Formats: sequence, structure tokens, C-alpha cells
Amino acid sequence: MQQREEKQLENTIQAILIRVNDLKGAIQALITKLETEYETINWPTFLDNYAILSGHLTALSKILQAELATSLRSRIVLPLQLGCERDESLARLTEGRVPACTHDLVPDLLRTKPEPQAEQRLHQFNHKASTLSYDTAQKQVAQFAKVVSHVWEIISKGREDWEGESMRSAGIQPTHILADTHALVTAVGTGKGLRPGMPSIVPAGIGGPGMGPSRGQAPQMGPSTPAMPKAPSAIKTNIKSANQIHPYR
Amino acid sequence: MSAANAAPITATDSLSQALKANIIPNQEYLLQGSVLDSAVEVLLHRLRGLCDNVDAGPETFDDQEVCFSLRDPIQQTAPLMLRVRKALDARDMPYQLRYIGQPDLGDKNRPTVVRSSLDIACSGMLIEFLNELGCRIEFEYSVKGYMFRKGRMKITVAKVFKISQSSMPPEPISQSYLVELSVLAPQGQDAIGEDMRAFADQLRPLVQLDKIDYKRLGHMAVT
Repeated sequence: MQQREEKQLENTIQAILIRVNDLKGAIQALITKLETEYETINWPTFLDNYAILSGHLTALSKILQAELATSLRSRIVLPLQLGCERDESLARLTEGRVPACTHDLVPDLLRTKPEPQAEQRLHQFNHKASTLSYDTAQKQVAQFAKVVSHVWEIISKGREDWEGESMRSAGIQPTHILADTHALVTAVGTGKGLRPGMPSIVPAGIGGPGMGPSRGQAPQMGPSTPAMPKAPSAIKTNIKSANQIHPYR
Repeated sequence: MSAANAAPITATDSLSQALKANIIPNQEYLLQGSVLDSAVEVLLHRLRGLCDNVDAGPETFDDQEVCFSLRDPIQQTAPLMLRVRKALDARDMPYQLRYIGQPDLGDKNRPTVVRSSLDIACSGMLIEFLNELGCRIEFEYSVKGYMFRKGRMKITVAKVFKISQSSMPPEPISQSYLVELSVLAPQGQDAIGEDMRAFADQLRPLVQLDKIDYKRLGHMAVT
């Protein structure tokens, strides 16, 4: 995929290069003609040369407008460094026309400035905006924000619907049940469903096989209840003192 | 009892000093949720990827917990609850005595439940001691599952079983595993709550870890 794209890009650039070279040749021919035959040149030949030029230009713009050029559109030429010093390799590349990547050339060559038409329109808008009164501007901003938020709502609602649908169509099972969470948390927290003599929350028989070893010789904690009702009076005093020293009451 | 002129540093002194310096991790930051038995493998897999103790594999545990209450016969206040935990799979480990305070849910900006929590390791005499103190067994259960660590956070995925009196196999409370994400920290370290939230978000939509107030749920009918 990537390779194909690269190849396509290369082909496009090659085609553009050929057209540009044709154009350059035509311009050179015209200039030579002007310089050498300025005494003999007649109007029709001069116009012919112009026609050649415009033919090349049309061909070039056709290539740029064609589908082939779409990948070029997404590419960015970024001037990383400008300088006044003469750059030999650049001069050689441009046949001595551009000796250095300077500040006055780059805006024109790399179009870091907007197109003149765009610039003009921008000026118009700026002028219009500066003459607008504050209140009207505020009103328009509010209106715009309203529209945008409305659109945002519509889009997010659509997305929710779509996501919900795709979830359902993918057949994703719920992985948790809120009621189970509550049952477990209350059981651990308050002992609900765990106190002896109370029915359990789920019917028996769900217990997975092989869960844990047999609880036959479970520790001494479990069946120690019978030891409790002994010596109630001693316990009472103990409770009192225990409560007094206990810092968490 | 040698003749030490300088006042010896007692355990009480160092304890109060530690309390004053606020270095005792006595606050538990907690988020709870559950995962269905059918999805627990997926959750364990995800946790294995997210947590620290990956290479060693998840740590398993099998504990039994007994909750004792201590009532004040004079004041009609809520009884003091004490929890005793015993590892069934490592019988040489000490018992764990634990006090858990009232859960504080705070407003909706607070990311986790905060409750005070104190743990201490005890010997096997603990049950008798508590009985002698006048504690009554309220309920008991066993938990069996997996434990993960991520920094200071502890994540447990465990099945809760009702303990049957007969020789029947223990009966699970529900068809889900209880999932808890907790951190023990000294007072005022609320920033950890945000970390926990972020971690909990990574487990969605598998598990929805939330602040759950079991006090309020306790009054609701079981569905």
C-alpha cells in the first residue's frame, strides 16, 4: 500500500517535472528570440511563441488539477531555515537563479504567504469585522455558538446510537451486574445473607465444582459460639473498660 | 527494670509520635465492583497486563473472615465491629484483626470511598480473647481469589462464600466475583484517589468500580 503510493507520487512528480522543463525551454526560446532576433521578429511568430507557452501552462495545470495530484495536496514543504549566505548546492540546482534561501524569496517561492486573492478577501473580512459594533458581534457569536452546540449534540447523539448498536450487534455480553455488586458489598460489609439461619441470596447449586478444599477442619473460629454465654458479669465490666479506652467510638 | 534516668521511650510514646507525624496509613481509599463468573478470566488477563507482579503470576488467597461485634449495654449506640481474618491456604500465617470505620462517600467530586482502617497481626489466641472481651460473632464468610498490585494500589478479585455448618461445600453468595481496588494511606493523601479512578477507568467496561455505600444498600430489598 505504502509502496504503491510512493510510486504513484514519484510518477506524478516526474510528469510535472517534464512539463515544467518544457515550459522552461519554451520561455528560454522566447527570451533568446527576443534577444537575438528583435530586429527581424514579426508579430505572428511572437504570438506563436506565446501560444506554445500557454499550451505548456495549460498542460501543467491539468496535471495539477487531475486526480494524480491529490497526494501532493497533503504534502507540506516546510522551510526549516532561512539564511542570507550563498548556498552552492541550491544555486546549482536552480542554475544560478536562487543563490540563497533568503527572506524575500521564500514567501513567493514556497507560498508561505496566502494567495493574493485570498489575502484580498481576508482584508475585506477584517475590514467588515472592524466596522461591526460590539453588540452585533456578540449576538452573532452567541448565535454561532448555539448552532455549533446544536450540531455537536446531534453528532454525539448519533455516535451514541451507533456505538450502542455496534455493541449490540457484536453480541457483547454484560460482564457485570449491578445487583451482584450490591449483594456482594452488603454481604461483606454488613453480613447480609451470611448470618446463620438466613436464606442465602442465590439458590444453592451454583457453587462451582472444585472451589476450594473441603472445609471440614476449618479453623477454630467458626464453631466457637458456645463459649460465649459464660461469665456474663465479668464480661460486662470488661466491656465498659474496653469502651473507655477504645479511641474509635 | 534497670535504673534508667532518662525516660525510656515506650511503645505508647512512639505510637503517639507516629500519630502526630501522620505517617500511619490508617485511611483506606476504596472502590468496589463485581464481575460475572463468565468474564472473570478476561478481567484477570487484563489485570495481569496492567499490574506490577506480572512475572510471578497473580497471587492467590483463600481467607476466612469472622466479624465480631462489641455492644455497649449502657449507650444504645451502634456496636463496634471487629473483623478477624485467617488464611486457610497458609495456616502458619498470623490472624489479622481489623477495624474498619464508617465509609465516607463525600460529594460526587471525591473519587473514592474513604474509611479509617486499622490492621494488626495476632496470634491464634485472638478468638478466645475477643470472646472473653464480650464480642459476639455476627457473621462469617470465606473469600477465595486473586490479588494484584499496582504501585500502592491493591486489587482483589475474589469469590465470597457462605460458610455452611454441615460438610456441604461452601456456597457462593452470587454468580459474580467481588472486585476491590484499595490503597492504605495516611490521612490527607487524597491525590491517590485520582490515580485509583484512572486505574478503574482502564478496567471499564469489564468492571464498573464505584463508590458503594453498603449502609444505604442494607435497607434496600435484595433483588
